[in-house]
Formats: sequence, C-alpha cells, structure tokens
Amino acid sequence: MAETIAERVKNVTAEMLKVDPEKVKDSSRFVQDLGAASIQSIELVAAFEEEFNIEMDQDEALSVQSVGDAVAYITKCVGEQHGK
Amino acid sequence: MKLVIFEDASYEQFYPLTYIRPTCDLRCGSTLLREKVERAFGRKADVLFVREWLREAYAVRTSAKVNDLGALAGDDLVLVNGRGLWIGDEFPAAGRDACAMAGAEIAYVTLTKQTAARIQASDFAGFLAASAKAVPAVKTGLKLLGYPWHLIEENGAAIRDDFKKIGKSGVHGTLGPSAVIWGPQNQVYIAPTAVVEPCAVIDSQEGPVIIEEGAKVNPHSRIQGPAAIGRDTQIVGGKIREGTTVGPVCRVGGEVEESIIHGYSNKYHDGFLGHAYVCEWVNLGALTTNSDLKNDYSTVEIKVKGQLFDSGSTKVGCFIGDHTKTSIGTLINSGTVLGMMSNILGAGCLLPKSVPSFVMFMDNKFYKAGLKQLIGTARTAMGRRKVTMTPQDEALIQRLFDLTKDDRDELIKKSRKEMMIQRGLR
Repeated sequence: MAETIAERVKNVTAEMLKVDPEKVKDSSRFVQDLGAASIQSIELVAAFEEEFNIEMDQDEALSVQSVGDAVAYITKCVGEQHGK
Repeated sequence: MKLVIFEDASYEQFYPLTYIRPTCDLRCGSTLLREKVERAFGRKADVLFVREWLREAYAVRTSAKVNDLGALAGDDLVLVNGRGLWIGDEFPAAGRDACAMAGAEIAYVTLTKQTAARIQASDFAGFLAASAKAVPAVKTGLKLLGYPWHLIEENGAAIRDDFKKIGKSGVHGTLGPSAVIWGPQNQVYIAPTAVVEPCAVIDSQEGPVIIEEGAKVNPHSRIQGPAAIGRDTQIVGGKIREGTTVGPVCRVGGEVEESIIHGYSNKYHDGFLGHAYVCEWVNLGALTTNSDLKNDYSTVEIKVKGQLFDSGSTKVGCFIGDHTKTSIGTLINSGTVLGMMSNILGAGCLLPKSVPSFVMFMDNKFYKAGLKQLIGTARTAMGRRKVTMTPQDEALIQRLFDLTKDDRDELIKKSRKEMMIQRGLR
C-alpha cells in the first residue's frame, strides 16, 4: 500500500536527522525535539522538495516548526502543484 | 554646462559587482569612477542615466536627477560614459561639438546648447546615438573599462592619480611611537583624524599611501603603496600589499594584494585576498583564501554573462557580490565569481568557479535561501554600521532575486538529487 504523505514526511525526517523513526511524531518539533540545526533544516527542506517533487517557499518552509505542521504544509504544496 | 554620466549596455559584463550599483559607482583607486569624472569637471553630476530597473533605488542615493531626459534641455552638455577611467590629464572642453571615441566606443560627447536643442529622441540611448552622429568624431586616449578585472589591473595607477589630484601629503593625523613611514613622507597622506598605531609600517617606497579620515591602522600592519585606506576603516594587522584599495568602513586583516574592497565589508582575519573585487556588506570568514595565479601560469578564465571567458590575464582573483558571506576556511579558485547575498560554507576544497546569487552553498551543494531571511540579515548588518536599507533597496533586491532565478534553479535541483542519493533516500 502506498505510503501517506505523513508517513513519507516522517521517514525522510528520521533519515535526514538520523533519529529513531519511532520518535518522529506529529507533535515533534524539528529543532527542540529532533535536534535539527539550521544547516540540517535547509537540507531537510530540500529533501522534502525532492521526495514530493514540489517547490516550497524557503522562508515559509523554514518557519514550519513541527512535523505535523510540515505534513500540512507539504500536503498543501502537493495539492497546489500536482492537483492531489 | 550640465555634466551627464551614463551607463551603457556593458553593465552586465560587470555582474555581480553592478547588480545594485551603476557601473560609474564602481571603485578604482581611492575614488569611484563617477567621482573621478566629477573631479575632472569640478562639479557633481547633474544628471545620471542608469538601467531603468535601477532608477528608483539609485535616485534616493544621489542628489543628481536620474533618467530624466527633460533635464538635458537648455544648456551645453557633456555626456560621459560611466565606465571611463578618468585618470591622467585629459579634460574635454565643454561648449563645443565633439564625440570622443575610445576605439569604437563612445567615451564622451560634448554638445553646445544649440546642437543639443536640435537632437530629437524619445529616450537617452536614442539621444546619445543621435548626438554622436551629429557631431565630429575625435579620438581619445581615455580607457573604457570592460570587465571586472580591468578595475584591478588599473587600481595601482588610479591610486597614484588620486593621490596626485588630492594634492595632500604628510602626517596630519596620529603616527604612534615606533610606527614607521618607510619611504618618502611626501608620498603619504594621513588625514587629520586617522591614527597609525605603534609598530605599523607605511611603506611608500614604490607608491603613495592614502589613509583617510577616521581610519585606524593597528599595530603590526604593513601597508605598501600604492594603497588607499578609506574613511573609518580599520586595518587590524597583516599585509596590505601594493595596488590595494580598502574603501570606507571596513575591517581588514590578513594578506591583501592588488584588490579592491568597495566599502562596508569585513575580512577581519588571516587569509589571502588577491586580485579581487569585494562589494559591500561582505564578510569573509577566517582563513578565507583565494588563488589569483594558476599553477601552469596560463591565463585565467572567468564566467561572464554565463559563459566562460578568457580574461587574457594570468593574475585574476575573485569577484564577490554584495551581502555575500563565506565561512571559515573557504577556498576560492582563480577567476571565481560569487554572486550577491549568498551564504557560502566552504567544505575544505575549492569552490566552483561560479556561485550564483541568493543561494546557500554547503557540502559542495547549492540550496535555496529564504529571501526574507536574507533581507533580515542584511538589514541587521547595515544597522550595525548605522546604514538603513531603504524600501527602494529592498524592492531592488527582490527584483534581483527574480532576475537571477534561472542561474541557480538547475544547480539547486541537481544538488537535491545528489543529496538524496548520498543519504540513501534514492
């Protein structure tokens, strides 16, 4: 069965930040809970863009604080750019 | 007489140096190209013509009229190409009709009021072309600079010329105990509020040294002429070698040779900068170093308008756009162009020959940078030096962000793919 956007966001997050996938929850905050330094945040945004074949506004993307908010933002971008 | 300085279509050849300033506001010697023209004519420019999208931001920086064709009416005119290097003794007589050609290019045109009144044109380019046709052509020895490295090649001569024309010499400021002027004292000008601290060496054996108002030269600095240190700049130790200009309000240390630091930029720490032009609000991290000579002594190639171009010169360093920052240990190859507002984290190996504007470069890859964040950082950097970013400046930056999009988009996409493969996500 195809992974949902939320599952894919969590997998990419875990891989990029080298954290246990079990620890990546909707409520997890990238910086405080998952330890994303500023450089890693930039890489993470790039990874989401590549994973979902979307372009995100960098200022907006970097202002997203939690995994759940990232799922919502990416879902919106996917919808706008791919009509899904 | 009205003094008119214009920017011709060559401004793109000077990118990234001319993204936020017209060609006439590039520095060569201790002064800007425009200031040399104004000095030659003994007056400020009355009218300036620049590319249209630069007009609003530039108009708030100058008291001259900008892109105002109507302002040319009713007077004798001198129309001067803003990339001319006005050094030496050439001084055209106003009040006659002539078109001075530097090779096949217009260096300047002088028009009487009567002739100017007969020229009909709807824009300045048309006015200039019609003027050039209407009056006799004469040859001039004035140089028109064509590429960024020409500024570097001419910098030593321009400093000598500036020193001669400033007409001041001697120590008017403070020369600390055991600070030394090594060479003729009449080849040194230390302005009244400038301070040369103990154990600094001002070496005027091979050329003049200008140290402007409020500048401070810290101990263990050696400044070798020809050299110019701008207003309120601090030399924090190290070697400022021949042919170097450091513009106003900079902090510079380490080793600098035959380079121009336009102003308001920092290269505080050790590291070599040679045959380079650094724009404003740049920060070069500790040990940032550029090469300016290839190991095989061949001529250096450099990207101009997206194409690699043989500079014809064996000594070419790097050209760095406004607001760009490098990390500690950044290594820059000969003939490298770094765009504006980029954040460059050197990875211990040479940077690519060209880094576009508005990117984050790290781990040998290009990433997107957030424009709002970049502008916020720029605003902070400018505020630290008590300079305000105007709304017009911000609009210009937004425009340049859009203008340079194609330069970076493909590189960013390619980098993203490489990163995913490296991380095992593809």
